[in-house]
Parts: sequence; structure tokens; C-alpha cells
Amino acid sequence: MALLQKNKPPGGNRHSFVRTPIPVSENLICVVLLVIIAAIGVAIFLKGRHFDPDRFNVKVSSLNSTSSSVVGKSQTIAATTEIESDSTKDSTKSQTTPPRPMPTESPAASTETGGATDGEGGVEGVGARSTPMVKGEPLEIVLEGMKPMSPTEFYNADNLYEKIDGRSPAYQNFHVQALRCRTFAVTSLPGSFVDVYEYTFDSAVDAFGMFSLERDPKGKPTDFIADGYYGDMGWFFRRGLVYVQIIASDQNLQTITLAEALARNRARELPENDHGLEGRLMLPTKGLIPQSVSFIPDNAQGQAELRDVFVAAYSFDGERIPFFIMAAKPDEASRAWKLFHDFCMRFGKVEDLPDVKGSKIFSAQLFGKSKVVYVRGGELGGVFDVSDVNKGQAFIEHYLRGENK
Amino acid sequence: MAPISQDGITRREFVTRVGATAALMAGSVIAARSLWQPNHFVPGFEKQRGLQLPSYALALDKLLPSMAIAHGEAHEGTIRAAIGALGGMGRFIKRGDVVMIKPNVAFDRPPALAATTHPDALRAVAKLVFEAGASKIIVADNPINSPAGCFLKSGLTAVASEMNLELMYPALKHFSPLQLDGEILKNWTFFHEPFKNANKVIGLSPCKDHNLCHASMTTKNWYGLLGGRRNQFHQHIHSIVSDFPLMMKPTLVILDGINVLMSNGPTGGRLSDVKRMSTIVAGTDMVAVDSYGYTHLLERNLDELTYLHKATERNLGNCNWKDSFYKEVQA
Repeated sequence: MALLQKNKPPGGNRHSFVRTPIPVSENLICVVLLVIIAAIGVAIFLKGRHFDPDRFNVKVSSLNSTSSSVVGKSQTIAATTEIESDSTKDSTKSQTTPPRPMPTESPAASTETGGATDGEGGVEGVGARSTPMVKGEPLEIVLEGMKPMSPTEFYNADNLYEKIDGRSPAYQNFHVQALRCRTFAVTSLPGSFVDVYEYTFDSAVDAFGMFSLERDPKGKPTDFIADGYYGDMGWFFRRGLVYVQIIASDQNLQTITLAEALARNRARELPENDHGLEGRLMLPTKGLIPQSVSFIPDNAQGQAELRDVFVAAYSFDGERIPFFIMAAKPDEASRAWKLFHDFCMRFGKVEDLPDVKGSKIFSAQLFGKSKVVYVRGGELGGVFDVSDVNKGQAFIEHYLRGENK
Repeated sequence: MAPISQDGITRREFVTRVGATAALMAGSVIAARSLWQPNHFVPGFEKQRGLQLPSYALALDKLLPSMAIAHGEAHEGTIRAAIGALGGMGRFIKRGDVVMIKPNVAFDRPPALAATTHPDALRAVAKLVFEAGASKIIVADNPINSPAGCFLKSGLTAVASEMNLELMYPALKHFSPLQLDGEILKNWTFFHEPFKNANKVIGLSPCKDHNLCHASMTTKNWYGLLGGRRNQFHQHIHSIVSDFPLMMKPTLVILDGINVLMSNGPTGGRLSDVKRMSTIVAGTDMVAVDSYGYTHLLERNLDELTYLHKATERNLGNCNWKDSFYKEVQA
């Protein structure tokens, strides 16, 4: 009150404003708060500058420890050490460090590679099991005459375009899950390198589908894997769920030799898995025209019931015979055959042929093309688009009698 | 802190406090300005004008061809023949020019697979440009994949080093917002840095099959200058490719059809996908050049190449290449 009286306005209605002293502690608190706000601002700026598409991805690499058989701490330490040393050392000896096998759906497939050594945290010796590949596992391959030129790259279905851009939709159509790739330099040839691409699909059928789509009709079949071929600069094959491409930078003999060694390494180390490819395995081998095998996921021959069909061409009696085959449950195969028969009757001319070893057969003239279709148990197949229906019938009868296995 | 008098604050204290407040406000403005992302468009939130590229094209010369087709085996001889048929590189490049060459280096593929601009093609063009008196050549592309790896494995790094070309890899600061009244392309971030000092632009692209838009040639080549998550344009690929003749008015485009990636594009991977066609097409109208490439190099029906027809309808070029003044020569 005394203060107010002392600061009485000089006249009129003017008020005097009195500021009380601000304690040092309050000033300090203000400074601290301002610093915190500024720090938050800077942090937001720095973190928000780049959008990281992988920000909310599950870090499956954190499951590494749970995906391998635990056989002792020392094993884990040894494996970890090997990763670090392998990625930096120059390869001078012909030693293969197998990568962790790819994911496998069938238990049978997972045990088939059981004896393989695993240099990245896996196990070796009796009873060792394959462990599923998880994102982030480097592609470590040690072969004489080459060394890694770059780190292993990983892509999933969502960011595959970052590697192959406009080609990625073709792979996504076959449900690609991941791409793991790495470049290896040829140590004796500066500038020469070999690229290894491993596309993992959701199923062996899809892996085969993509492999078939890109198949080089002029490719030569490999001697180390069934679904594979090689060309002037690369090896291409399907192994299990993985479609592998080994591409050399040039046609130099040393580069090509290393590319082939890499291809053999991948074919050996990736786990086998032919689940869903039963039809592929049923295809007769006699007279098969190399690289003619392809896969039709659905609506084969215009029939909704013909799914997961394999098609191949055969050389038979001087004629090229296109042949298809589908594996299904016996009742499904029988029903599909009946519906196909009815369809052909409705739109063309059908002749029922005598049974061969219990297989039902019909031939049909449809839209100017000839077909001969059979069913036996869970197997439905036939020849199509043949110019000489008698040769088509002969081919089927030979096959059903087991004469062209 | 100076003591406050019982009568209020001192003049000194007042000036100090006002000064401190002004400094704080000025600091805030400076900080806000530096944090503000001028390149970031928020559709519907803010109206902003981005850059529009100037035309690098020359005035139409009715006495000289606008397109040349040269047949030959070696890159250098065939490119030289094609440019010679157009009137020589001197028609396009003057002494002291800074030339930006845009190759297609989208993938880290070796040259033999024909998925990227061939190093021999770059070498030949650079040689001609320097012979015409250019003071500097900038080579730039924005591969989605690692630029260093793509340039190295495609063989262009070696050529840039050998020919003393400035190789410019994309960095965040190199992008600016582009403003265009395109069918699809309106506002988008663009690899602008290489164009800041260049006064001539040459597009140098391979001729190849493309999984989504049938073919990647000189028009599609400019796609490599877009930044951001440009794969979202794949859904409207023909529309956005037809926007490129509007976005870019180059001085010259050169289509390398010595080796053509006929299938499994745009990446390829097999030599069997590549067919030797021994042809170079150069011209000022990218639509005309591509229409020749599609019909005569990729050997396909032009009716299916929607983006060229769209561009023609918008008067951005002429897909009826025979209507243009062209010359065909043998190297």
C-alpha cells in the first residue's frame, strides 16, 4: 500500500506499472525450458527431414537368435566372429561359407540341408537344422578369385522397385517376398564382377512361374539343377522358393568361370522345396524340348477347373507336341476332366477313346484345334493344338502305357 | 540483472530488454526460415510456384533435318554420322556452352545387357560436344538404386573420368520443386542442380523394352530426373511419360539402337534379350525419334505405345516420324 501511494500517478488517470524483481531461479527455469523446447524442435527437424519407409517395419533380424538351434554360447560367438571376418577378408582359399538357408515350408525340405555348415550363426554337424533366412542376413560366399564388391542389399515386395524399378510389378504378380543381392568382384580382372540376385517367393510354384516367364528360349540346360539354364553371361535357375540370377559383367573366361562357380554354390546351398510342383515332376522326360516348360496358375485351356497346370513341348515322331498336366485330388481331377469333356462337346466334336490302363481319354476338335485329354487318379493331362490328332493320341497312349517316361 | 528501481525500470534496462526481445524474435524468424522446407508441397494447403525449366531447344531450321537415322557398327562412327546428317554438332553446341547430358543409368547393369546408356555412346557424344567447343559437360541421372553403383557398373564412371566430364550424383539439396501443367505431372520434386549452369541439354538413352510402358527410349529417359517416390506414377505411366516432352525441351536427343534390349526390360539380364540393330537415331523431336525406335528398332506396332500418341495429340511432338524432315545415312 505504501508502495502504491509512493508511485501515485503524476496526474490524471495515468497508472504506473511496477515490475517486481524476477528471482534468479525463475530466470534459470525459463532458460532451461527454452533450451528444452529448442532441443525438441531441432530433434523433430532432424528426425522428420527424411521419411524412412522402413520405420515401422518389423525388425525380423531381432528374431535371429530364436530362429536357429541353440547349441551353446560358444557356437554363437564363433559364428558372429566369422561374419565379421568373412566380410572383410580377401578370399584366397576355395572355401564355401554357406548362407543361412531360405525359408522353407515343408519339414522335409528343412531337414534335407541339415548337414550343411552355416557360417552365420547356424550350426554344423550331426543334427543341425536349416534355419529360416531373415531379413538382413548377408550373402556371404567365399570362392577363390573373387571378393565382395559391395554389401548385401535387401529389398521386400514394397520397395523392390528401388532395385529393379519398372520390372518389379512383374515379380509382384508372382508374390515376390524378398530380394537379396550382392556383387562380387573378380580379383584378377579389374572392372569385372558378378551379380548374384536371389528373389524369394511365397511358394515354389510362384518362383517357378517367374522363372518361366523370364526364361530364355535359347538358354542351355544346366547339369546341376532341373529348373535352370545358362546363357552367354549368366545362370538362371529356381531352387526351392528362390529364383536365382547370376549375371556376369562380361564374357571373359575368368568372369564366366566364377559366375558358374557361384551358380553351383547357390544351387547347392539353397534348400530344396518343390511343394506345389508335383505336376512339374510328373512331366515325362523322354522327348522333352529343353526350356519349354512353363506354368499356368489358373484357367488353363480356358477351363476354370484347370489350375496349377504345367505345360511342356515334346518332340514325338517328328512332331512338336504341346502337353499339359495337372496334379489334384482324384475326385477333383475326375470332375475337371468331365467338365472339360462337356465343354468340348458343347463347342466342338468329341470322340471318346478306349481306356488305357484304366485312364479315361477323349479327343476333341475345338475351334479348329485338336486335343487329346486323359485322367487317371489325381492326374489330368493331355495334348493340345496338335495338327495331327493321331500323333497326339499316340503320344498320350505311349505315355499312359509308361513307354515315354 | 540490473536492479529495478521502485519507480519502474531504468532506461538502460528497458533498452536491454527490448533489444533482447527483438533479438529473440529475429532469431525465431531466422530459425523458422531455415527450418521451412520450400521444396515441400502440401496440396490444398499452400499455393506455391515451382520451377519451370527453360527451353533448351534451338529454333526450327527448315533447311536442315530434324531427325537423322544412321546405320553402323561402332558407336562413335554411327553417332558421328547421325549428328553429321543433322548438320553437325556445331548446329547445336556453341563455343563455351555448358552441356548437360542425361544418360539412362537406372540400373547397376553391365553395358553388354543394354539396360543402360552404353559407355561408348557417352564417349562419342562427349567427344563431339567438346569438338564443337563446349566448355564443360555435366552428366547426371537420378537412379533409384545407388547412383555410384549404377554409374560404376554401367561403365559411365570410367568414361567420365577419361573424358573429364562432371559426374553429378543426386543429393537431397539438388532437388527443387517443379511446376508443370501436365496431365499427371503438376508439382513434383526434380533433380534441378545439373541444369543450373547448363545452357544446352542432350538426352542420350538406350532403346529398350519396358515391362510397364512397352518401351523406354528418349522420352521415358527424363523420368530419371524426378525425385521422391516416383514409382507411384507407374499406375499412370503413359500419362506421365507423355508429360515429359512438356517438361523438357532438350537441345538434342540421341537414341542408341546399336544394341537393343528387346525383352525382359527395363532391367534385362540376359544377352539373349539383346538384339544388335546397329542404328543410332538423333533428332530434336523426341516423339518422332521414339516412334522410329519403337517401330524399327523394337520392331513393334506403334498403335500400342499410348504415350507417344498422347504427346502427339497435345502437340508435344509428332509420332508420325515420316512427316518430319529426316535423313538416313550409313556410317
